Amino acid sequence: MAVKDIVSTCAYCGAGCQIKFTVDQDRNKILEAVPAPGRTNDGTLCLKGHYGWDYINDPQILTRRLKRPMIRKNGKGSPLEPVSWDEAVGYVSGRLMDIKAKWGPDSIMCTGSARGPGNEANYVMQKFARAAVGTNNVDHCARI
Amino acid sequence: MSNGVHEIEDAALLFVFGYNGADSHPIVARRIVRAKQKGATIICCDPRRIETARIADMHLQLRNGSNLALVNSLAQVIIEEGLTDDKFIEEHSSGFEEFKELVRVNYTPERVSAVTQIAPEDIRRAARLYATSGRSMILYGMGVCQFAQAVNVVKGLANLAIMTGNFGRWGVGIGPVRGQNNVQGACDMGALPNSYPGYQNVTVPEIQAKFEKAWGVKLPNKAGIALTQVPHYVLHEPEEKKIRCYYVFGEDPAQSDPDLPEVREALSKIDLVILQDIYMNKTGQYADVLLPSTGWNEHDGVFSCCDRGFQRIRKLVDPPADADVLTDWDIISRISTAMGYPMKYNNTEEIWNEVISLCPGFIGATYEKLEKYGNIQWPCRSADMSDKGTSFLHKDGKFANADGRARFSSIEWQKPTELENDEFPIILSTVREVGHYSVRTMSGNCRLLRNLEDEPGWVQMNPELCSDLGVRHGELVKVLSKRGHCIARCLPTERVKKQAVYMTYQWWIGACNELTIASLDPISNTPEYKYCACRVEKIDDQAWAEQYVLDEYVKIRESMGIDVRGNKRGEAA
Repeated sequence: MAVKDIVSTCAYCGAGCQIKFTVDQDRNKILEAVPAPGRTNDGTLCLKGHYGWDYINDPQILTRRLKRPMIRKNGKGSPLEPVSWDEAVGYVSGRLMDIKAKWGPDSIMCTGSARGPGNEANYVMQKFARAAVGTNNVDHCARI
Repeated sequence: MSNGVHEIEDAALLFVFGYNGADSHPIVARRIVRAKQKGATIICCDPRRIETARIADMHLQLRNGSNLALVNSLAQVIIEEGLTDDKFIEEHSSGFEEFKELVRVNYTPERVSAVTQIAPEDIRRAARLYATSGRSMILYGMGVCQFAQAVNVVKGLANLAIMTGNFGRWGVGIGPVRGQNNVQGACDMGALPNSYPGYQNVTVPEIQAKFEKAWGVKLPNKAGIALTQVPHYVLHEPEEKKIRCYYVFGEDPAQSDPDLPEVREALSKIDLVILQDIYMNKTGQYADVLLPSTGWNEHDGVFSCCDRGFQRIRKLVDPPADADVLTDWDIISRISTAMGYPMKYNNTEEIWNEVISLCPGFIGATYEKLEKYGNIQWPCRSADMSDKGTSFLHKDGKFANADGRARFSSIEWQKPTELENDEFPIILSTVREVGHYSVRTMSGNCRLLRNLEDEPGWVQMNPELCSDLGVRHGELVKVLSKRGHCIARCLPTERVKKQAVYMTYQWWIGACNELTIASLDPISNTPEYKYCACRVEKIDDQAWAEQYVLDEYVKIRESMGIDVRGNKRGEAA
């Protein structure tokens, strides 16, 4: 069994606590999370730090994990149908280009995310809005 | 935050304003406790008797929505009693004379006492303690920011710190303890309508030219709109200004935004709604396209914590074997490329190197240093290994304004937007609880955390209000505002005054955002989540109400793709 300890940053509030995860790499499972000595958390964690990683196991409690791209092929109100990434990317980019051509780039609103994705994903999203779409309509859930 | 979290315990006085650390940041709250143990004076300013109030030397239990009246009055006392740091004001600030004039007559403790519900002598005592501790730090949270008058209250708090010289040293300053794990990071990265990464303004031509050169494309120079303005732009602007596409990434406006009936109307009228997320959510029900991504622990990257600290997140596990998901940056890059603006990155370090090369304040925060030191607080202006970042800002009284001086802001207190009235006589304020996070797609899908609290959530009510309405602990009640209603469980508690009730926003059935008002601060566009008018009604048929909650819960979970009939897993899609 390849068990490894990996330190990462908690995703549950702005405190930035450091967590030491024990991971069973063969079984692709997190086994345990314990506090690591970070600057802000100083070797402590709250409940969410200790137990907030279970969502990754998709325990089917509240909502289902999204596992493949889906499109409402027959318009609003029709069922979501699984598609390939090529089809999803082609569909989204085509519709975005149509909307941009017809209504201009400022008719498109993009969001970043203040949660799990991380800084790099936010950077890429705002670059996409500004450079590919051509709008500064990019914002995120800072206000909630 | 102008200072680091690790400095909190070294303050001689903590002025905790509209910030409930015990529920929103338990580990930051430990620093408040430790400061107390080390002898600090604690002043808690909050309409509820929160945990911090219980260990505080003073609890200013101000009336909801009176923030700036109190803050200006504290300043009035500090000036009136000659407790200002005149040297700091003289050398490092501007606008003090005008501010003095604003507060001199209209903000005496006697004048604001009725509005704030705080006795004049308490205001005086708090002001003296703050001004004379020698090392006072202000911590604030959503109780300051989620009002239609919010940014101006922040400026008011900054006034207090400037006039007493509580900036630019260890253990002082003002600290907005930012709520979501990477809200600081999303701002740092320029996921804001008016700034590129590193807080570089989109309307400044030299900055625009720099990014045009780096990205090889002509860029727009007009600031964009805020997320909270989307419903308005969809429903009330003329055809040529309407929002037609909403690309939602890692959030759930149909649960988290104010006035949900209006949000739903807007979402159903937008031509194209794209949701990129890890779990199905309320917004997904309005989405035309779902783009599934990797979750926290399935990808690498950097987060920024509340005190400007960059720290690594690391991939621990692969996504489930039956999932065909991609990292967020890969999805966006593919769409961009298909639209004729190619983006191609092999890993997050490549992206990060591009980020820091464009941001003078981040340029020294390399992955190499993050590996070595664990944490780098920006600004970090040199790649040299000896530059480990900056714990506190404004050293030697240097501020980010063009003249290097801090500016006093002279602003009058204003009332909240929707006041109590005959039909809706009680204030509703939204708050946090410790077990759940945000819209709970993560915390609610963790077996242990979901057991802490579940639907429909609680409404915190003063016991006297409960007895007036004839409702008891645990009873289901209906909460209504002009915009909508929901059902929640009555939680009688002496922590709250009779004039206001409090709810958390993550519940589907007890969804308090059905009631909240989309009145926005004109500068930050943050909604007034902390104040709208509501009423609470008793439900006579409790058996019906309990059954309603159960049925609704099943219905919503089913609509989120959960197989509710047994333990077997839902449809793999």
